[in-house]
Amino acid sequence: MLTPAELVWLIAAVAKGDEAAFERLYAATRAKLFGVVLRILRRQDLAEEVIQEAYVKIWNSAGRFNPGLSSPITWMTSIARNRAIDVVRKRSELSIEEEPAAMEVAADSPDPLARREMTEELKRLLECVGRLEPDRQKLVLLAYYNGWSREQLAAKFETPVNTVKTWLRRSMMDIRECLGL
Amino acid sequence: MMAYSEDHIALAAEYALGTLDAEERAQVETMMSVDKDFTAMVGAWEHKLGVLNQMVGSVEPRPEVWDKIRTATGLAEPQAPLVLPDAPQPPVAPEVSEPAAVVDPSNVIRLSTEARRWRNFAALTTAIAAALVAMIAVGVYQPDLLPEGIRPKPRTQVVEVKTPSAPTPSAQYVAVLQKEGGSPAFILTVEGATKNFWVRRVGASAEPGKSFELWLISDKLQRPRSLGVIGNGDFTARPVLASYDTDTINTATYAVTIEQADGSPDGKPTSAPVFTGKLIETVPPAAPPHSPAR
Repeated sequence: MLTPAELVWLIAAVAKGDEAAFERLYAATRAKLFGVVLRILRRQDLAEEVIQEAYVKIWNSAGRFNPGLSSPITWMTSIARNRAIDVVRKRSELSIEEEPAAMEVAADSPDPLARREMTEELKRLLECVGRLEPDRQKLVLLAYYNGWSREQLAAKFETPVNTVKTWLRRSMMDIRECLGL
Repeated sequence: MMAYSEDHIALAAEYALGTLDAEERAQVETMMSVDKDFTAMVGAWEHKLGVLNQMVGSVEPRPEVWDKIRTATGLAEPQAPLVLPDAPQPPVAPEVSEPAAVVDPSNVIRLSTEARRWRNFAALTTAIAAALVAMIAVGVYQPDLLPEGIRPKPRTQVVEVKTPSAPTPSAQYVAVLQKEGGSPAFILTVEGATKNFWVRRVGASAEPGKSFELWLISDKLQRPRSLGVIGNGDFTARPVLASYDTDTINTATYAVTIEQADGSPDGKPTSAPVFTGKLIETVPPAAPPHSPAR
């Protein structure tokens, strides 16, 4: 993985139409972006379409990337992830997932030293997520990582959609206050 | 930035979280197109939440994807081989590295607070690790092979490996490397077709001057074979499994030992395995949709 500074430089070059820079940018980021959208879409073909559209958008809008507001990888991932969420929201047939049995694997606490590998920003966010009630922590993480809709979350938590709506909103407001946004 | 109502703030936050429905998302996008400040607020949320993706595993898209992107951007014409000029020194970027979280043992009060925080963290990392395992399991889901009408509803499950003699191109295998009865420390993913593998750290950190080295242990082989030192990055990808046959790969035990910084000096493990695991095949079973969540 290139450093954020290298990615900033590449995006700046892409904004000027530098094809070689675009190829390097793609090579450096494609697997991350694809991993993010594949988890949400759960279908290789849809994920490939989304990733394709995302990079076309990145090519076309590289000039609008502002390194003062976002990190390059977050900017790129947001483009891809937003597209994935749009697709999944429009496809009602991608229905509720059962929590895979594999999730039971992680029953114990991992070594807290894993913290050392997290960036300060991630630690800070996780501190704030960690202050939510356990169910709501899970709600937020499942929503973010899996791209689940309120309906899917409601089914998962066996609770009315309106309750999920309230929980999500409160959770985000709590996180906002905690982060000082 | 102008003051927004809590409704607007919540809308921006939930847009970034991803929980709005299609209509609300369209509404937010309309607002963003006319309101720069609102766009900035959405961007701030995307940035704040975006760090969660640091925990997400990378998955290589097929090479065809790049061809399609080149076509779609009008770059598909043949080009001379790329010779990159030396990049000018990039501007100094915001610091993204991680200073070690060191606890000052002389401060007892701080220590107990820190311990509590770490426990909270541990629980959260567990939740995230769980989400990541689930994610790897779905990465193999390839319903496209079936006609629309009989495609199973997306659903994932991890089952014991059945050692296929000829792995399908999409087959993917996952091993969770852990101490006996302990929490996962590494997640190993092997792609059946290419035998490429990826190692993701989920709960292990090497001491300074030491490294984690991954080994393949098989009764078909006389001694453990090194698969290399697991890098300090979040994710390590390597092609070295290609020299082993599928059966060996599928039945082997994968073990992690602690070695000196650049790995075992003589290609043999110098210590007992700390974390071990075996591959399981992740498959999409055809199951009744809408089964109860638990």
